[in-house]
Amino acid sequence: MKCGLEIHVQLETDSKLFCDCHTNYQDAPANTNICHVCLNQPGAKPFPTNENALEGALKIAMMLDCKIADDVTYFMRKHYNYPDLPSGYQRTSVPIGYEGDLNGVRIREVHMEEDPGQYKPDLGIVDFNRSGIPLIEIVTEPDMKSPEEARAFLRELIRVLEYSGDARGEGTMRADVNISLEGGKRVEIKNINSIKGAYKALKFEMVRQKNLLKRGVEITQETRAFLEAQMITVSMRLKEGAEDYRFIPDPDLPPMQAKEEQVEGIREKMPEPPHIKVKRFMEQYNIAEEPAKVLTSELELADTFEEVVKSVDPQFAALWMRDELKRVLYYNKISFDESGITPQQVIELLKMVQKKEVTTKVGQRIIENMPNSSKSPKEIAEKMGLIGIVNEDEVIQAAQKVIDENPEAVADYHEGKSAALNFLVGQVMRFTRGKAEPGRTVEFLKEML
Amino acid sequence: MNLLEKSKAIRNQEITALDSLEKFNQVIASKNSNINAFVQIDHETALKKANEIDARIKNGEKVGKLAGMIIGIKSNINVKDFTISAASKTLENYMGSYDATVIQRIKEEDGIIIGMTNMDEFAAGSSTETSFHGPTNNPAAPGHIPGGSSGGSAAAIAAQMCDITLGSDTGGSIRNPASHCGVMGFKPTYGAVSRQGLLDLSMSLDQIGPLAADTSGIAMMLDTIAGNDPKECTSIDWKVPNFTALLDENPEEALNGMKVGVVKQFQEVTDDHIVNIIEDSIDKMGEMGAEVVELSFDYVDLCLPTYYLINYVEFFSATRKYDGRKYGHQIEEVCGDEVLRRIHMGSYISQQEFSGKYYKKALQARSLIRKEINKLLNGVDIIAGPTVPKLPHKLGETLEPMEMYAYDVLTVIANLAGIPASSMKAGEVKGIPVGLQFQAKPLDDAKIVQAMAALEKAA
Repeated sequence: MKCGLEIHVQLETDSKLFCDCHTNYQDAPANTNICHVCLNQPGAKPFPTNENALEGALKIAMMLDCKIADDVTYFMRKHYNYPDLPSGYQRTSVPIGYEGDLNGVRIREVHMEEDPGQYKPDLGIVDFNRSGIPLIEIVTEPDMKSPEEARAFLRELIRVLEYSGDARGEGTMRADVNISLEGGKRVEIKNINSIKGAYKALKFEMVRQKNLLKRGVEITQETRAFLEAQMITVSMRLKEGAEDYRFIPDPDLPPMQAKEEQVEGIREKMPEPPHIKVKRFMEQYNIAEEPAKVLTSELELADTFEEVVKSVDPQFAALWMRDELKRVLYYNKISFDESGITPQQVIELLKMVQKKEVTTKVGQRIIENMPNSSKSPKEIAEKMGLIGIVNEDEVIQAAQKVIDENPEAVADYHEGKSAALNFLVGQVMRFTRGKAEPGRTVEFLKEML
Repeated sequence: MNLLEKSKAIRNQEITALDSLEKFNQVIASKNSNINAFVQIDHETALKKANEIDARIKNGEKVGKLAGMIIGIKSNINVKDFTISAASKTLENYMGSYDATVIQRIKEEDGIIIGMTNMDEFAAGSSTETSFHGPTNNPAAPGHIPGGSSGGSAAAIAAQMCDITLGSDTGGSIRNPASHCGVMGFKPTYGAVSRQGLLDLSMSLDQIGPLAADTSGIAMMLDTIAGNDPKECTSIDWKVPNFTALLDENPEEALNGMKVGVVKQFQEVTDDHIVNIIEDSIDKMGEMGAEVVELSFDYVDLCLPTYYLINYVEFFSATRKYDGRKYGHQIEEVCGDEVLRRIHMGSYISQQEFSGKYYKKALQARSLIRKEINKLLNGVDIIAGPTVPKLPHKLGETLEPMEMYAYDVLTVIANLAGIPASSMKAGEVKGIPVGLQFQAKPLDDAKIVQAMAALEKAA
């Protein structure tokens, strides 16, 4: 199978694309973030294009390795009749970037659009708060060969968008998916709102089309809608019914031209895209692909890693940050950025572990207490009484106490049950608050038993 | 007393804004039912404003450039709390929810808006007969059309119902009725005046401009409304001349040494009676020191098809918002024949399969026309000629669409090229006014005002 995607995501700006209204459409009561311009009332003309939206779109195009149109670009009017479209046309730009690439999937083009309002038949209203919010649309070539590849691409794309800091992420995503199987025509699926939805729609469609082909039924070119609740697709219209949008350049908006210094300025400031960063981490720090991917899952995490490895062995840091730090973030359901953990905290902790000032076990306890703490790892350890590795006398004392208090386990040990020794080691660790070295503890216990 | 003198008299308390308003009210009361220039009047607000201005003048407070001037606005420009119908049933229930930029500026300069004027439906016409409010009569030639589409704005001036009006000009809609009604009309350079708040006919051609009985009224209004609007993308950031200052001293000398071009093809398509009068005016300009040069423009035949193709497509796009959901009526269900024709034509031409055939070709032709007319203008200061090639027909006479379009042949050029143009009365044929048109290079609006003032002085 071959699959191509058209993905719309909102750009992260304070004001709309062609007026000064706020973009917090979800928080605002219906039809309060509106003016005559985004309602397209008679006589209203667009204000000049929001520069932040334009720069954000250029940045994302560049992060997707697109060429930037050096000719003039402009907005077209795409005419169609729907209750959520106050002017009867949607403004959509010609490509501002083209011929990009993300992990081997070619990006055909990137362009800007304005979001329509929201038609809510259940409430009997159209809410125009969303009308005029800037969107970016990313169109790929049909380079994905399975639903899994499409899913992997979308995850990576969302990561790039998050890295850019100029897009709103999966929550505002709307995608159209094109799929064609060997021997069949191209089918377009609309109304997909999540990565999971895209995956499910493709899975469903693949099975549906395979079954048809098996029965010798011809697959004709058509547009289908994805029904999220049922995870199925249903036919919307055949090719003959294709709409004619009667595109014309918008006469109210003069042509734009990205200036070279503007493009260069954005290029200098733009973050390295995550898929490029993965490759660099693998080469530069000699770490495997999997930890490199985990470390680049978030820009702030990746930046912290690079700060940490200036003074800590990269492989040791990669191991800790991938396993222990990510475990803590996952457990707390927060991003690294939200955790407030600083590179200095990570460096100090890793140095303590490396110098054996604390055991691995204690290190784990400390990191669990690092989110949203302004304290240094040492302070955390001291406060919890975790500092230092206990001396051997204390370990021996603790071992003796454990042996005295657990005669059954001792008996089990002498009967050759090795699990009993593990239990006793655990008890020693408990008494010493994890400060005993596990290896030495086993040796002492064996001697004493 | 011209309008500038009148404005000074109001400032000097020789007359009051209230007196002026009451006088106009009387004229409106006695004549408007016959002329139908105004379709909505707001006496009350105007009265309040007039009293306020008089009080401020009396107290020695500062007042704006248009203090006490009584203004009429074409029904396709948004004014808060007036019905902005564009003379169509489609918008019979649409109340202006905001002030167009030009209206904001008029209000800031203390102009008194008295009402909304009649027009062709959505400005798509040259006779003001297609209005949902019924046709407007021509005060200067009763029983004839006043021209259009700003027919109400021109008739209001001709009938002395107010001081200054605003019109909009897409292919001649200010200059054409100015010509037929014997008043001054001015279409500024495209982008010189903000279109924010002007209902669209054809966005790349539309321009707001003033109509008045004399040049000083044109100049005062241009001083008010011209200038960059950062909230309108096609608005030009330009150094706006002080138009009224141009009229201060010996305006008649402006023609001395001015190079005036006369395009022979413009005369060839024009009724001989009209040409005679226009030639008299040009002779007069020569006597006043202008150097008259003959020019040739080979693309007259190209202008109307180019203009209408662009007009149809842009109008189709602009009217998609009148889908019946927000303003009560779906346009196709309630509009008149000409509006419907333009929507259907626009829809047809802009189909994907014809995109390269009509609209793109029209845009190419437009570039050519713009280039050629600018070439002509490079050698002269202004081009002078007739505004309309024929006299207005009688009200009630039916014209074929192509006959109606033929009224525009000499005016559409300025819109296609984006250049400033005006019309002023040159004389009469059988008692019907004939207009003299001036055109100039982009942003040479001042040269036209100077030429108008000079010729006006000599009359």
